[in-house]
Amino acid sequence: MFFRMIFGTLIRQWKKMLMIAFTIALGASLATAMLSVMLDVGDKVNQELKTYGANITVVPKENSVLNSLYEVEDGGSTGAYLREDELGKIKTIFWAFNIVDYAPFVNTKAKLDDGTEITAVGTWFNHHMELPTGEQLDAGITSLRSWWEVTDGKWIDEQSIENRNVAMVGSALAEKLGVRMCDEIHLTGSVSDLTVKVAGIIDAGGDEDNKIFMPLDTAQTLSGLDGKVDSVEVSALTTPDNELAVKAAKDPKSLTIAQYELWYCTAYASSICYQIQEVMTDAVASPVRQVADSEGAILEKTQLLMVLITILSLIGAALGICNLVTASVMERSAEMGLMKAIGAQNSSVSGLVLTEIIITAVFGGIAGFFAGYGFAQIIGHTVFGSAINMRPAVIPIVAVLVLIVTLAGCIPAIRMLLRLSPCEVLHGK
Amino acid sequence: MNKRKMFFRMITASLLRRRSRMIVALLSIAIGATILSGLVTIYYDVPRQMGAQFRNYGANMIFTPTDGSFTSADISQGKNCIDQKDIIGVTPYRYESLRMREQPVMAAGTDMAEAKLTSPYWSVEGEYPSAEGQILLGATLSEQFRLGTGDKVEIGFTPSADDNDETVVDSTKEFTVSGILETGGPEEDYVYMILSDLEELTGVSGKIDLAELSISAKSDKLKTYADKINSSVPTIRASLVKRVTESETTVLTKLQALVLLVTVVVLALTMICVATTMTAVVAERRREIGLRKAIGASNSSIIKEFMGEGMLLGAVGGIIGSVLGYIFAQQVSINVFSSSISFMPLLVPITILVSVAVTGISCLLPIRSAASIEPALVLKGE
Repeated sequence: MFFRMIFGTLIRQWKKMLMIAFTIALGASLATAMLSVMLDVGDKVNQELKTYGANITVVPKENSVLNSLYEVEDGGSTGAYLREDELGKIKTIFWAFNIVDYAPFVNTKAKLDDGTEITAVGTWFNHHMELPTGEQLDAGITSLRSWWEVTDGKWIDEQSIENRNVAMVGSALAEKLGVRMCDEIHLTGSVSDLTVKVAGIIDAGGDEDNKIFMPLDTAQTLSGLDGKVDSVEVSALTTPDNELAVKAAKDPKSLTIAQYELWYCTAYASSICYQIQEVMTDAVASPVRQVADSEGAILEKTQLLMVLITILSLIGAALGICNLVTASVMERSAEMGLMKAIGAQNSSVSGLVLTEIIITAVFGGIAGFFAGYGFAQIIGHTVFGSAINMRPAVIPIVAVLVLIVTLAGCIPAIRMLLRLSPCEVLHGK
Repeated sequence: MNKRKMFFRMITASLLRRRSRMIVALLSIAIGATILSGLVTIYYDVPRQMGAQFRNYGANMIFTPTDGSFTSADISQGKNCIDQKDIIGVTPYRYESLRMREQPVMAAGTDMAEAKLTSPYWSVEGEYPSAEGQILLGATLSEQFRLGTGDKVEIGFTPSADDNDETVVDSTKEFTVSGILETGGPEEDYVYMILSDLEELTGVSGKIDLAELSISAKSDKLKTYADKINSSVPTIRASLVKRVTESETTVLTKLQALVLLVTVVVLALTMICVATTMTAVVAERRREIGLRKAIGASNSSIIKEFMGEGMLLGAVGGIIGSVLGYIFAQQVSINVFSSSISFMPLLVPITILVSVAVTGISCLLPIRSAASIEPALVLKGE
């Protein structure tokens, strides 16, 4: 009988029930969309901030102490290098997944035919790597220096075979030399000499405009530094530093075992640096404060902003649902009066109304969840051009929210109506 | 006259008598209006506030001399070409090669207070130099010379012979290391001191090699500033730090798009929520409509009266919402960006108008369907 009455109401009053379900669906979709966007916004913005370039630099141990002085004195070679064959290991550390991009650099001086000395930089452009884990990665300055503009020609493609002995020239240098795309430049390095073809002109808006860039092995041949690398720039997704990270960055040994594990297993810039030092011989990795700090600040602000907007919309959704449920329960005063008049107990009347509303809420909530998922994807694709990852935590939060809000909307209204005497209600007062 | 009085009396009486339901309706409108005014305020304020956060990346414009060096008068002339409220910091730098413990070091003379503004990412262990005779030592140098905060060191300068034909006199001065600078970048190889100290050591004043500017503006505005400075100050070449400006534009555009989309989605859903609640509140009054029709009210007068009631609610809800929305936006701004938000007077009438329009539209449909029904049927309860 109970179920018959419920289904009776659901079917007879389908219009009203549909409206309740619709409102609940709207609220639930709002909650779902905002929660999923909020939980994923950190990762998404972090990806966007990668346009600022590397946030970690790796240099050889001795070099990090002596670099400044002797670079001023004798032009760059300090005798300390990183090993090129170890570069792949960077992608095997604990937080390998967070390493987005990296590129090695080797700086060397080369002379032009007219005797002027220029800085030649060997690096990766879009170096293709097959990792031991089976993953593939294209790393290099094409993506790491996204703000560089190639004004003439195009980026060097390391995969194509005809790109041997090619180079990209900084715009200021190119202007000085009067070279254009496809011109040839003859360079004399400290060990050998070779002729490179200009593949493109780079406008970097900085020091780099006076340098010439070429694939790593070309520069190594020029300077006789086979298998050696000056520095590596790493772009990694990191978590903003907190007290623990600051303490650990000073000295990891000062941590307790539990703190150490927490620090090691969190993607702080300092723990990623530490892990890079573990896999590379005699290397010092340090966060680039300009990038790492700013990333932290912006990430934190964006997340906090989204959390507050989410809270506002959750409150909005909750009050919206609550309101409508209250309004539609109050509307049924006559029906409840009638039931009481023919002898129904308070508990059974409220049980009946509650069950009806909850059944409606479940349907509305499920529909709303999927709609909200859709909204989140629309936001993800329009803004960031990639899908929003749905966190499993969203489902229980939305479910509990819808349930609590529906009950909170029903119960005061039902109690109020039950307090009225049936004959007054039926009389229409 | 009398008719209008009666109209208002009926509306206010109906609102007062049916208090609980009207509170429900009012609450829902107020929530909608709060979300509208709050989110729109945030949306307009986000670029400004976030832009300030992006200034954390440091200078986005640099002044380099067109010929040799420039003076601080040139800098202030360049500064005048920029809207004063956009300027966050202007830091002059002068570079000289000095001697520390008989080894050559690169020193930079600057204005420490401004350097703090243009390079907020500098991490200083100890204090920034606050008075003459103090230096900020790069971390690499600190390790190399084994100098810590509080240590004293003598720094000397030897003028190059062709600058000075007469006897070359070394000048030296004792400095206290007030802080160690860590940046993870090339700054760690420098000694930073107050500009007047460097001028005293070298005996040459009024010479600046480079100035860093941090300006809160988008890249196209920065470009116009740079062009203006280049054409009006002949000694300075202003150029943008491409890495910072390009990336800032990319990220900021995305963030603003995110807030816009979120605002649109939240607003649309909330407004529909308000509409359904209003519909439910009005639909409940079919019997009343029937009764009025039975005693001779015309359809148009019923619609007018009910709409008047709805719109009054909408206006009151809109006013409450504008106030609450502003408070919300202010709270967000203080919590997230720790600065207050600018009040947008235009938003108040817009919020009220939107609330009135939404309530009006959502009342209209159920009232019309109720008014077109035969009074007898409605009163009978069918």
